[in-house]
Amino acid sequence: MDARKATSAIVVGSGISGMSCALELAKAGVSVTLLSPAPSERSQSVMAAGGINAVLANCEPGDSVQQHMEDTLAGGAHLAGRHAVEGLCSHAEEIIQDLIDLGTVFTVDGAGKPVRRSFGGQSYSRTYYCGAATGKQIVSALVMEERRFEAKGLVTRRLRCHFHSALIRDGVCYGALVYDENSAAFEALYADAVVMATGGQNALFGKTTGSTMCDGYAAARLFMQGVPLKNLEFVQFHPTTLETPQKRMLVSEAVRGEGGRLFYEQDGTRVYFMEDKYGPAGNLMTRDVVSREIEATGRQVYLDISFLGSKEIDRCIPEVRDICRKYRGIDISKEPIPVSPSVHFFMGGIAVHMNHETDVRNLYAVGECASMYHGANRLGGNSLLAALYSGKVAARSIAERDYATAEDAADAGELEAYFAPQAQEAAAQLDMARNGESAFPVAYIRGMLEQSIQTNLGIVRDAASLAQGIADIDYYLSIADKIAFDSSLNAYEIYSLVPILSLARAVLTCANARTESRGAHYRSDYPESSEDFACATIVSYDNGAYRVNYDKEQAYEN
Amino acid sequence: MRIRILRRDTPRSEPYWESFTADVTGDMSIASLLDWLNYHDDITNEAGEKTRRIAWDCSCMQGVCGACAMVINGVPALACETFVRDLTGDEITIEPLRKFPVLHDLVVNRDIIQENLKAANIFIGQYRPVKARNAKAAEAEFEHQYSIAKCLKCGLCLEVCPNYTSGENFFGAMFANDCYLAASRNESQVNELVDCYDEHFGRGCSNALSCMSVCPIQIPSLSSIAKMNRMRKR
Repeated sequence: MDARKATSAIVVGSGISGMSCALELAKAGVSVTLLSPAPSERSQSVMAAGGINAVLANCEPGDSVQQHMEDTLAGGAHLAGRHAVEGLCSHAEEIIQDLIDLGTVFTVDGAGKPVRRSFGGQSYSRTYYCGAATGKQIVSALVMEERRFEAKGLVTRRLRCHFHSALIRDGVCYGALVYDENSAAFEALYADAVVMATGGQNALFGKTTGSTMCDGYAAARLFMQGVPLKNLEFVQFHPTTLETPQKRMLVSEAVRGEGGRLFYEQDGTRVYFMEDKYGPAGNLMTRDVVSREIEATGRQVYLDISFLGSKEIDRCIPEVRDICRKYRGIDISKEPIPVSPSVHFFMGGIAVHMNHETDVRNLYAVGECASMYHGANRLGGNSLLAALYSGKVAARSIAERDYATAEDAADAGELEAYFAPQAQEAAAQLDMARNGESAFPVAYIRGMLEQSIQTNLGIVRDAASLAQGIADIDYYLSIADKIAFDSSLNAYEIYSLVPILSLARAVLTCANARTESRGAHYRSDYPESSEDFACATIVSYDNGAYRVNYDKEQAYEN
Repeated sequence: MRIRILRRDTPRSEPYWESFTADVTGDMSIASLLDWLNYHDDITNEAGEKTRRIAWDCSCMQGVCGACAMVINGVPALACETFVRDLTGDEITIEPLRKFPVLHDLVVNRDIIQENLKAANIFIGQYRPVKARNAKAAEAEFEHQYSIAKCLKCGLCLEVCPNYTSGENFFGAMFANDCYLAASRNESQVNELVDCYDEHFGRGCSNALSCMSVCPIQIPSLSSIAKMNRMRKR
């Protein structure tokens, strides 16, 4: 049989990783359907502030790609695969060059060359940035470029379009079932490959530093369809966030970089607990350590930068000044900032192999929804890099594969007949839910889920809290199909409930199984790391059963 | 406090006002107020009747995504950046944007923004920047271009523009800004971009500049307009 190249792909999610993948596919001549509930401008990617790591030709003397790799592996507490991380770090220069060529507005020096800053956990300065809005500037550049391929007909955007499930038969993915808000109906879309680019799992925790649109549903649904997930227990808490009535606002690490001091008050005096315990540089310990120390105080902790003076504050951290003033009326040149840790990033997600393909053939995952590169904890500046890189890796794998094999080349009519019941069942379930009569609305269950997860899956965990969390979620799952679905909610909010609960159950199960402490996962009952757990967690779902395995053979990242 | 919201059940049904009572604090943004109305308990209107939850778009909740653009006390703004403490009067009115088709309550269809940018096909392509005269000018250019690339595509500049109706030919300030970004970052396409700019912006703009006063990013659109006009004369 002659070789057949991919002609079509579906990319779910249009943030940076999804656009990176769509662009690379379009460049290879593959027609892309880029579907998302909202335009790329609304994606969580626009909130990434800090920067993107790379070792370029004019790097800090002594730095190397090798050193970037070592920092990434060490930051991830040696859970990430060396080969995966090598791919990431060795392509960083190419990725930065691509962004420059696209016209991304990097902060540059007098000669027009991008400048770098230092970030936590890294031995050299290698974080390139665009003012205080690196993610937003990259999104703008990618959107413009991607629109060029839209005009050529190679990329078709579908807005107000929600993922429902993957179309999987005998371990091969043939497309996706989506819910289109415009027609208020389910629709089966077929393609040679499907790429998930749906972001993190914020909805488990409720208010986080991220977007309300990243809820983990897509990963959760795939999990229930038999796709394994990985390293779910590793959730990064950012130590300094500001509570506001609407969300947790990130207070950048830059405040501590500029000398900001953490303290609490006791009997009218300030206790600089980080400096007392770790010395003068104590405020700049890694994110997980600072978060745990803040939690351990059991009090309201403050971050003081007022001594810098309003001039320096205006120059160095204007975005922090603005957020505190705008959302809390706090003048940081006069008073300290009340801070507490909050969920910021998910190292875990869909288990993927080196080419970003899942265990299901032709089904890929990229960006934060996939678990790769970051191990047990992520370094600042590596997530934008991973989003861009993973999108390209998946696209290249799709573009290079021969689709003439028997399993890929299924007959269209036959597929439609096979998958028709999946769409019918989704529609029937939605109708049943809409006509339900009992008393608990979806919103209440989601609220209880958030509360239980925040209490039981916090910065410090133990067997008792995790068991309580599991008991809570099992109860919510037991009533989830009996509740009064609110007709004023949209279809997506209704059909996403059970999978999101199941994802929460999977996260708790992983955290419970890992009886050690490593990176962002800290167990007060097992405070030390154990060699037995120096490998990734793989969790799979089988008809209500959650099975945990450890990737001792390194089947995924190497 | 009394909150009045202009609601609509479906794109084809008639709009109607519904009132709510809420305990508000000055620190609350309109976004957190809507969240409170929707989720503090079952939602009931001022008369105590059970009603539908209020539909509105949001994502970042901190002024960088543009989803929650709406009309608050008659003024178009982002809900997450409009605070109760800054409003006057003894009630708060909330309406959807008026220049876009309403889909559901405060949710509008802003596809025209993306469609017009696609039709005009503005892109940078290959970075070949117009050279700045000196270091100071280069710094000012960076600030200007950085600001344009922060555009949220939220539609507020179109909502207040006296020249923008439904986007058939005149594309508004966000388009003019994108034209300048693309031209300044790839000088080889300046002439082409100037023509496109003239067709979809230059000829229609009456310089009311209301776009600048509502822009959440405070993009200096006037500066983009002036620079595009200068490029035209070259």
